[in-house]
Amino acid sequence: MPQAISTRSLTKKFGRREVLHGVDFSVETGSVFGVIGPNGAGKTTTMRCLLDIIRPTSGEVRVLGEDPRLGGPELRRRIGYLPGELFLEGRVTGRKLLSHYEAISGPVPPGRIDALAERLGLDLDRHTRKLSKGNKQKLGLVQAFMHEPELLVLDEPTSGLDPLIQQEFHAMVREARLKGQTIFLSSHVLSEVQQTADTVAILRDGRIIAVESVSGLREGAVRHLRFTADGITAHDAGALLGTVPGVGNVTVLESNGTVTLSATLEGAIQPLVRTLGTLRLKDLVLEEPDLEESVLQMYSGPADPPRREAAT
Amino acid sequence: MSTTLPLFRRAFFDSWRSTLAWAAGLAGATFLYLPLYPSIGGSAQMQDMIDALPPEMVRALNYDQIATGPGYTQATLFGLIGFLLMTIASVGWGAAAVGGDEESGQLELTLAHGVTRVQVVLERALSLVLRVVLLAALVFVLVRALNESARLEIMPENLFGAAVLFAGLALLTGTAALCGGAVSGRRTYGLAAGAAVGVVGYVFNAVGRQSPDVEWLLNLSPYHWAYGNVPVANGADWAAAGWIWGISAVLVAVAAFAVSRRDVGT
Repeated sequence: MPQAISTRSLTKKFGRREVLHGVDFSVETGSVFGVIGPNGAGKTTTMRCLLDIIRPTSGEVRVLGEDPRLGGPELRRRIGYLPGELFLEGRVTGRKLLSHYEAISGPVPPGRIDALAERLGLDLDRHTRKLSKGNKQKLGLVQAFMHEPELLVLDEPTSGLDPLIQQEFHAMVREARLKGQTIFLSSHVLSEVQQTADTVAILRDGRIIAVESVSGLREGAVRHLRFTADGITAHDAGALLGTVPGVGNVTVLESNGTVTLSATLEGAIQPLVRTLGTLRLKDLVLEEPDLEESVLQMYSGPADPPRREAAT
Repeated sequence: MSTTLPLFRRAFFDSWRSTLAWAAGLAGATFLYLPLYPSIGGSAQMQDMIDALPPEMVRALNYDQIATGPGYTQATLFGLIGFLLMTIASVGWGAAAVGGDEESGQLELTLAHGVTRVQVVLERALSLVLRVVLLAALVFVLVRALNESARLEIMPENLFGAAVLFAGLALLTGTAALCGGAVSGRRTYGLAAGAAVGVVGYVFNAVGRQSPDVEWLLNLSPYHWAYGNVPVANGADWAAAGWIWGISAVLVAVAAFAVSRRDVGT
């Protein structure tokens, strides 16, 4: 399948301040691609470059096979965009505003707007400036999804939405993906992206520092381990654990007859289980991998050289 | 769904309340000033009073021909209160059209759709033109309607020419505001540009009429280009009308060019 989005050495300077220092990534058609990073990392700037709202200083961008600079209205009709900060003023109802956006975007199937609004619990007959932040965000989502675009570019799509509506949004993303639409979304928290995305890119200080599949991230992530055993000294248990690849931070929590140790595990589980199998375990807790933590490690690590792994 | 000129429609119809409010203001001013002509402007006492004023002041206020119906209408309605109202309306609309929309963050979303930047500027400029023309047409109609009862004795063709210049002058300030907003992306700069054209035009006219030494200021005053020959009394200077409308068109073109070449919303 061709790529829905690709960028090569994308840089952007605002005056003398460079905010993107050579961003490279590609999004496969029909996949969900999440980009996460702290505020100011360049997520919004990257997205704006895809829509020709701002122009890159250098580098190459391809969106749906075209250069956004040259693609013009025809290209943008094939994209649904939700800006990171959505401002909807004016004394118009949501319905009127949407029919305006309908007039300047791709064709909207009949009944689609009402169906989406109902799904998200949005009242289309209220004036937009009286809407709460969450309801404005819903209006923005309807606007992005309504013409069933080939590509959705969503900047922090769930900000302001309550958890139930967030679930509904995740369902919308999964459905769009099943229909073959490509989704490019951003967030500053991983937990949000990991629910829907196939691939996650981590952007920090204007650079992509990692591109990983969510399953890959899960494998590379750190798990917390705690167990209690008897018939072994704390020292021996610690030494035994130390032989398992990927185990670190071994700490003895308790040592009076039974021993309780905690450790972290990075990588495969099988060797650990085999080793633990030789002990007389009383209790064992192996936590879900904390992706957030592994991402935070990437944030705090050195930005160079960029670590890249094949996204599957 | 494809509608023709979707951006124009939105710009025009979403601002109908404001258009209506300015129309009410202009109508109020017209009904306030013109019916007073027989008792004020046309009376001998008024002429005596005008003669008693310092001639500099009379010239600055364009009251030199206030004793005639057309001169009175020119000085009070077209040259002062109407000029003021139209300028404020037009500058406000012009500054909001692109700069204001960008500053409030809404332009970004519009441009992410199937439109070009040139199209956005042109359709919004068209909406500005139509609103200004509607207001000028309203003034034309009201003055025509009051012509008889207020004994103004204005020739219809002269009134028409004055209305074209009246609209053109407002449009010039409005497009200057649109251009300032489009170049800078800020509503305030748009307002400043529009207000500067209006105020400088008025002041240069008032000062330039004082003495031959400063007469050159008149050449820099759009207000004087439009009203220098008192169009309500003497008919429009059509070359001046062409210049004023032409410069407005150029300002719109500059705005379109500027917006299409820069980053939006940064």
